[in-house]
Amino acid sequence: MEPEEEPRITRYRTYIFVWMGLVILTGITASAAGMQLGGWTVLISLAIAGTKSGLVLNYFMHLGSEKLLIFKVMIPLVMAVFLVFIILTFSDFAFRGGVK
Amino acid sequence: MEEHRDYTGAKLGMWLFILSELLLFGGMFILYSAYRYKNPVDFHHASMELEVVLGTLNTIILLTSSLTVAASIAAIQRGQRKLSMVLLMATLALGLLFLVDKGFEWGTKIEHGIYPNSPTLLARTKGEVLFFGLYYVMTGLHGLHVLVGVGVLSVMLILIAKDEINPMHFTPLENSGLYWHLVDIIWIFLYPLFYLIT
Repeated sequence: MEPEEEPRITRYRTYIFVWMGLVILTGITASAAGMQLGGWTVLISLAIAGTKSGLVLNYFMHLGSEKLLIFKVMIPLVMAVFLVFIILTFSDFAFRGGVK
Repeated sequence: MEEHRDYTGAKLGMWLFILSELLLFGGMFILYSAYRYKNPVDFHHASMELEVVLGTLNTIILLTSSLTVAASIAAIQRGQRKLSMVLLMATLALGLLFLVDKGFEWGTKIEHGIYPNSPTLLARTKGEVLFFGLYYVMTGLHGLHVLVGVGVLSVMLILIAKDEINPMHFTPLENSGLYWHLVDIIWIFLYPLFYLIT
């Protein structure tokens, strides 16, 4: 009898490669902090954090191998909407007059 | 009689919960970005007082724990019950190690008189007070989530031992894994924002 849940089994090797990538990205973000990159540091750190999260979401959380569209589409879509919330809220705050 | 099970529904439920958790932490991240924007120098100075080595170690610990829990699910799918349990125990050990490290971090800070509303902290600049307030609240709430995750995964371990989670039915483990990965992702963002401010 076939299990009805998640018949696709990820290879251990895939998980280990993803883990290595995550560790390497952690190393990169830590070293980038040590360099004098000025305003770019935040952006680079966030970009790397975003990439790491993307790896976790896609491989560990199986979003990449999801068969149902609702997961593959809804999750990234909601996160994109939430990112817009953050950007809009922060932009509003950043351009306000005189809050201390 | 066969119990009716809705695997997709269960998974969807966990994802919806995860999205609500994103709102919870996301709100705090917005607050953090607003205060950091207003107090860049103070945040930088305060950040220097955190132990980068411990923070980096904790990041590696959680990343590895995500690996072990994901592999644990793959193992049970393959019918490798013992391996699945070993990997799950490794996940639990790593989660607890994370909390121990956190305990040390907080411990040293508190020893130096830096904790919310402490006279030592209040004597500092406003920006530093804000930084440490955010630090304690955000890492504290995150730590609470790690603790809950450890509890949930412990229950999963027991269920595997009782063979109630098996190759035919492992959705509870899969969903618990999803929750654990969320905890990892939150830390992936907390780490650079608190420990690596230059």
